[in-house]
Amino acid sequence: MQVSGYKILISILLVAGLSIAGFRRQGPEPLRIDYPAYFGNRTFVPDDNPTTVEGVALGRRLFYEKKLSASQQISCGTCHRQELAFTDGKAFSTGVDGSPQPRNTMSLVNLLWVRNFFWDGRVAGLEMQAAVPLTNAHEMGQSLEVSAALLSKEVVYRSLFSKAFGTDSLTGEGIVKALSQFERTLVSADAPYDRYLRGDYQPTAAELNGISLFYGNPDAARNIRGAGCAHCHGGPKTYIELYHNNGLDTIPADSGREKVSGQSYDRGRFRVVSLRNIALTAPYMHDGRFKTLEEVLSHYNEHIKPSKTLSPFLQGVGNSNASDGLTLGLTDREKKDLLAFLHILTDSTFITDKRFSDPFR
Amino acid sequence: MNIFRSAIFLGLQLTFVVSAYAQTSPAVKISGEVTKPLTFSVDDLAKMKRSTAVLTDRDGKAHSYQGVALQELLEQAGVTMGKQLRGEQLTKYLMVKCADGYEVLFSLAELDSSFTDRVVILADKLENGPLPDGKGPFRLVVPGEKKPARSSFQVVEMVIRYAKD
Repeated sequence: MQVSGYKILISILLVAGLSIAGFRRQGPEPLRIDYPAYFGNRTFVPDDNPTTVEGVALGRRLFYEKKLSASQQISCGTCHRQELAFTDGKAFSTGVDGSPQPRNTMSLVNLLWVRNFFWDGRVAGLEMQAAVPLTNAHEMGQSLEVSAALLSKEVVYRSLFSKAFGTDSLTGEGIVKALSQFERTLVSADAPYDRYLRGDYQPTAAELNGISLFYGNPDAARNIRGAGCAHCHGGPKTYIELYHNNGLDTIPADSGREKVSGQSYDRGRFRVVSLRNIALTAPYMHDGRFKTLEEVLSHYNEHIKPSKTLSPFLQGVGNSNASDGLTLGLTDREKKDLLAFLHILTDSTFITDKRFSDPFR
Repeated sequence: MNIFRSAIFLGLQLTFVVSAYAQTSPAVKISGEVTKPLTFSVDDLAKMKRSTAVLTDRDGKAHSYQGVALQELLEQAGVTMGKQLRGEQLTKYLMVKCADGYEVLFSLAELDSSFTDRVVILADKLENGPLPDGKGPFRLVVPGEKKPARSSFQVVEMVIRYAKD
């Protein structure tokens, strides 16, 4: 009996020991990011930075960590506030040195489907993007090495990094990788428009007409009304990775993508943004010149400025409801209906989701 | 890691690009599954074997475009066209990338004269004149399609890959 009991005890210890060893060997747990099938699977996750439960948990904390800025006063979340769909309501955010940014802070939404970042698409991949505001002297202004050294002093970060990356060394590379993992989980897919796509919401007559105008191309000769928005903002994500000159200026103060490509045909071209949560992300355009969505619609309807690089989809008879083809030619009623559609892209689940909120609060 | 060193220097590089970039002349690059990666300019295209294609544009009118057949360009880059386009090579596709980020895809067989009489060209002329602003200097012209959506504007790159799924 004694021998048998001893054997059982040894067996239990062995199994427990192996289980612990097995568990430890597994490392971080892969995280599946949920999104609707209608978003499609053309997602971008680098092979060397898979999304994990532990990586995202670390990334969330880092996103709201003010020690990552030279002043210790600013975190990513300072300019990317969840309640405003990760914008800050300003035309130009202020960096650690008090200087305004050259362009409007972009919303962070459905980045899993984005390949190139910033208003001019100059950087490939979230990991490369994240390093820029962290280190830019006019933004958070602190090198990744200094940030890593500061965080290394805290037991909590040493533990979180170890869990996320299975290594004891806390590096700048780990900081941007974890931030990127967190940002990839920022999926907005529960707006009334999503519920409509899933068959759970009946839009109002105005919203339905707005949807119809948004996706429809105008054909004045056949009296078919349309706003042609979907050409560039099309599909359930309301996002395609495109760069267009949308007629803000005949001579742009900021030449946009031309600075990246060196090609004159790129003058005044900027990213075509996602319209998800657009009602929350005022002011609008790369320079925040429009304070309201009404002003934006008025721009597209009546105030497109001609230039050599103006988008071909914002000019000409084929893109106009007006018989002269000079403007988009929507009526006031139609503009209101489009606005009603834009408002059902606001996702209250997304902006209150605790998984995305500030863990320091 | 190199990528992060690069990121740190990105600001510097961009400052350099912004302050010192010169207008580079437009060019198209052919890359991916090619044996001879090819980059060509407007001048290079003018010296190649020329073809004409007719396209009904969004204005509903047929227009004549001049340029070089895609098959000719792909052959110059050493892509498996003609007699080589068989078996496994038939799982290859061409992704056309444009300056505004627009992308469209073809299977190689759609572009090969042993499969089809339709000739898709990379055009640099419209009715023997320049292409209009916003569409040139290189426009794909895909005749015989009901929508002109693949006749994409401002082509900057063509990438050949195997479909692997």
